[in-house]
Amino acid sequence: MKLVMRAACAAGILATGLALSTGAVNAQTKIGALYPFSGGLALLGDESFRGLELATEERNAAGGVKGQPLQIVKGDAVDPNQAVGEARRLTSVDKVTVVFGTYSSSLSLAATQVTELAGVPYFELGAISDPITERGFKNLFRTNPTARDFAASMVDAIGEAIAPALGVDAKSLKVAIIHEDSLYGQTVAGYQTKRAQEKGVTVVETLPYSAKSVDLTPVILRLKSANVDVVLQTSYQNDTVLFFRQAKEQGFKPKAVMGAGGGYSLRETMEAVGAANMEGALNVDFTQYKTNVSAAPGITEFVAKYKAKYGIEPRSGHSLANYVGAKIFFDAMAAAKDFSAPAIRESVLKVDLAVGATASGWGAKFNEAGQNTRVSPFVMQWQGGELVTVFPAKAAVTKMKTGLGTN
Amino acid sequence: MDVLIQLMINGIMLGSMYAIISVGLTLIFGVIRVVNFAHGELLMIGMYAVYLLCTKLGLHPYVAAFPVIVLLFLTGVLIQRFIIQPLLDADEHIQIFATVGLSTALVNLALMVFGADLYSVTSPDIRVTVKLGTYNVLVGQLVMLGAAVTLVVGLHAFMQNTALGRAIRATAQNRNAALLMGVRVNQIYIITFGLGAACVGLASALVSPLFPATPTVGTYFVLTAFVVVVLGGMRSMYGAFWGAMIIGLVDSLSAYYIAPDLKEVVYFAIFILILIFKPTGLFGFGRGTE
Repeated sequence: MKLVMRAACAAGILATGLALSTGAVNAQTKIGALYPFSGGLALLGDESFRGLELATEERNAAGGVKGQPLQIVKGDAVDPNQAVGEARRLTSVDKVTVVFGTYSSSLSLAATQVTELAGVPYFELGAISDPITERGFKNLFRTNPTARDFAASMVDAIGEAIAPALGVDAKSLKVAIIHEDSLYGQTVAGYQTKRAQEKGVTVVETLPYSAKSVDLTPVILRLKSANVDVVLQTSYQNDTVLFFRQAKEQGFKPKAVMGAGGGYSLRETMEAVGAANMEGALNVDFTQYKTNVSAAPGITEFVAKYKAKYGIEPRSGHSLANYVGAKIFFDAMAAAKDFSAPAIRESVLKVDLAVGATASGWGAKFNEAGQNTRVSPFVMQWQGGELVTVFPAKAAVTKMKTGLGTN
Repeated sequence: MDVLIQLMINGIMLGSMYAIISVGLTLIFGVIRVVNFAHGELLMIGMYAVYLLCTKLGLHPYVAAFPVIVLLFLTGVLIQRFIIQPLLDADEHIQIFATVGLSTALVNLALMVFGADLYSVTSPDIRVTVKLGTYNVLVGQLVMLGAAVTLVVGLHAFMQNTALGRAIRATAQNRNAALLMGVRVNQIYIITFGLGAACVGLASALVSPLFPATPTVGTYFVLTAFVVVVLGGMRSMYGAFWGAMIIGLVDSLSAYYIAPDLKEVVYFAIFILILIFKPTGLFGFGRGTE
């Protein structure tokens, strides 16, 4: 009996040794994935991670980076404190080569301070707050558009898309900026105001309100009294629903309403408002799936891959944005002479992709601050209960409508 | 002028929504003297219950009110019996923390069960705009005004004219004296909390068609409800009603004439002024009742 035991033990030890040695031969490159996987942000955090996961699997199937397969090490960043803790763990315990993240701006702002000090490159694929790449960090790069790009797309759409569709001069349109009064709304509205001044857009009202408002009727009456033609709203879900419902109840019919992602992008918002009442609402956001393939080559394949792996349609554009961003950085890592931070920076700054070369329609050219300068969010519109891309023309799948509501 | 009248109509409608939510809190906060921070979450439970009854069983929101009132009465009874009652003789702060804890737990429970998305009852017949001359008002808002007036008048009559109502008032005035007079104080507390919660049940059925349910929907209303109750003098149903109307009107007018993001500043400033010059609230029972 003892003999049998010893034999079993020996076999076990041998097997373990064997496994360890094969592991050592197949060196893997560890990459950190820092997202909110639990808590209130988990849904879109996980959706973002799926994009990175798909890009990694695709890369590994094609032989990895520099012949080494990539191994994802997850870090769960529920809040800024935990983001810092998990970033420390990834950089010092797991010793990852690079970190990808983060979906939420407050998490990104916190985690990147750790990685910058540790000298580990951080690739931001989804957080939109501008200051993330305005702190002079050397090892931080971002593929996605920022709040300023969102604001610029919205203001520019007035002159380039809305006014031509209405057949009027853009200067003659009275524009109102309304926004919820937390950091998100304040930031986007601030950039909108600046952009509107530069472009000579006539802003007649700027109204901040609390996202916890239970009544937006006074806001709507202000817009109605000022005869506003175009409303730019930066909002969460609840206030978007209130705005559309109460605008209808007060008989306020602007020529166009445009949202800055947030509540405007969510299907539940459209369902609560009703497809008929949401009809014609414009929205600026990360690329969604009803986008013309000629402007976003590979988008169809991405959706197919996503469905094959997860069994459902993508839940938002976040997975696509992360997939595209991760692929850009994997290519940059492969082109770098080694995996040291300076070599990766040098290689990232050499990336040069034209607009329309990726599955999200974005290009890639990074400035010294690490921000991608060849991105701008597309303009979408709710039509028949679907969010479809309508501007720019190359990315559009259908013609833009004017007015709001079907009745 | 047109805008002013529309804003005032809107303010009255908003006031009736605040009133119907605050009446229950008047009973709980005014009588049992428990600062119930979970009041908003009772509303949240009610709104999800209405949503489920409407979408799963196809009930009309106003019909769903009846089972929801019963459900919330029982919820209130359970909260009072198992959370507040064991703490009745403890420090007030401990009761407050208990209700804060309950509130956090309920919000997170809703996040687990329903997620962070909003759910809305579809009720085309309630969201119909009625024209009063050139002014707009919703059917649902008129119903809410009617319900608020009926509830306030009914509860006032109940408190004044029934044995149970008198026992509740006696308990509110002096718990020990009421005990000596043979009032079963603990039972009164349980019933009162149940009644307060049942009022929230009615409120949630009336609010649901106008306002989508989210896990944090309670926090949108609860602070205003406390202001309304204190403004109304803590124990007075009529006081709470007029307090709610004042807040509704101030809310509506200041959001238009001053700025939408400053309306809270305006009504809290008014609130502070009233407390400075009339510390017992507009309809208080005179000094020393606190």
